[in-house]
Amino acid sequence: MLEDELNVGIRQREGVAIIDLMGDVTTFAEEKINSAYREVTEGGARYVLLNFRQNDYINSAGIAILIGIVTEVNRNNQKLAVSGLSQHFQKIFRMVGLAQYAEIYQDEDEALQGFKSATTA
Amino acid sequence: MKTTYYSASMELSIPSELGYEVIARDAVAAFALRMGFTHERVEDLKTALSEACINAIEHGNMLAPNLRVNVACMCDNDRLLVEIHDQGLKHHTPAQMPLSMADKLAGLGSMRGMGLLLIGQLMDEAGFDPNSPDGNRFHLTLYRQHTVEHVPSQRTE
Repeated sequence: MLEDELNVGIRQREGVAIIDLMGDVTTFAEEKINSAYREVTEGGARYVLLNFRQNDYINSAGIAILIGIVTEVNRNNQKLAVSGLSQHFQKIFRMVGLAQYAEIYQDEDEALQGFKSATTA
Repeated sequence: MKTTYYSASMELSIPSELGYEVIARDAVAAFALRMGFTHERVEDLKTALSEACINAIEHGNMLAPNLRVNVACMCDNDRLLVEIHDQGLKHHTPAQMPLSMADKLAGLGSMRGMGLLLIGQLMDEAGFDPNSPDGNRFHLTLYRQHTVEHVPSQRTE
């Protein structure tokens, strides 16, 4: 397999579990992304942010992984948002309908503000 | 003053191994930029071409490492045409209507299957050649005069 490395990091900021996705989100990324999501969920996360890097490659297999995350987020009564997507992938997320289930923000700071507004609303 | 572009073509052959679609994508993107297409349209092409190559690798050639996927690009004053041709162990017959996101979340089908939906929305024209005698032939077309609106075709909740 010609596998592209995806680096996944987990951190907390202002009550939000941030999953940093650095690299290509393809079929090879499934275990890493699901594992990171499981870890933050087992840690009690209510708010989850998938933080992408602008220039990454996301294909339909990667989108399928993210749909799986949305399913789990709904099941676990969490709130999901995404940040750091390029304009192109923001368009792709809207086309496939992911934007209906996860707020899209330009960057991490905007996403944290969005979570804050949602909790105080 | 009307801009004149020169005609050009390029061919690639990649193995049926996931990941090589990225190499084809980058080569075709460089070709399209050289032919004068905008960055935004080339981004659309990159996603569409990647998905078409993945379909050829996974569904047409069924991941058989000895089979090839050929990618041919032809560009002239009017359009860029890209043809993706596999060696067709399996005739690729996609479902007529992809499931909506709501249906997928309800567990009514596979999480996969978004590739053709994306291609249809990103390209000016795309489709299989129904008369291909030797494997699946799928084409993508971008016109220089872009007229297609990107309207999501999925059903919503």
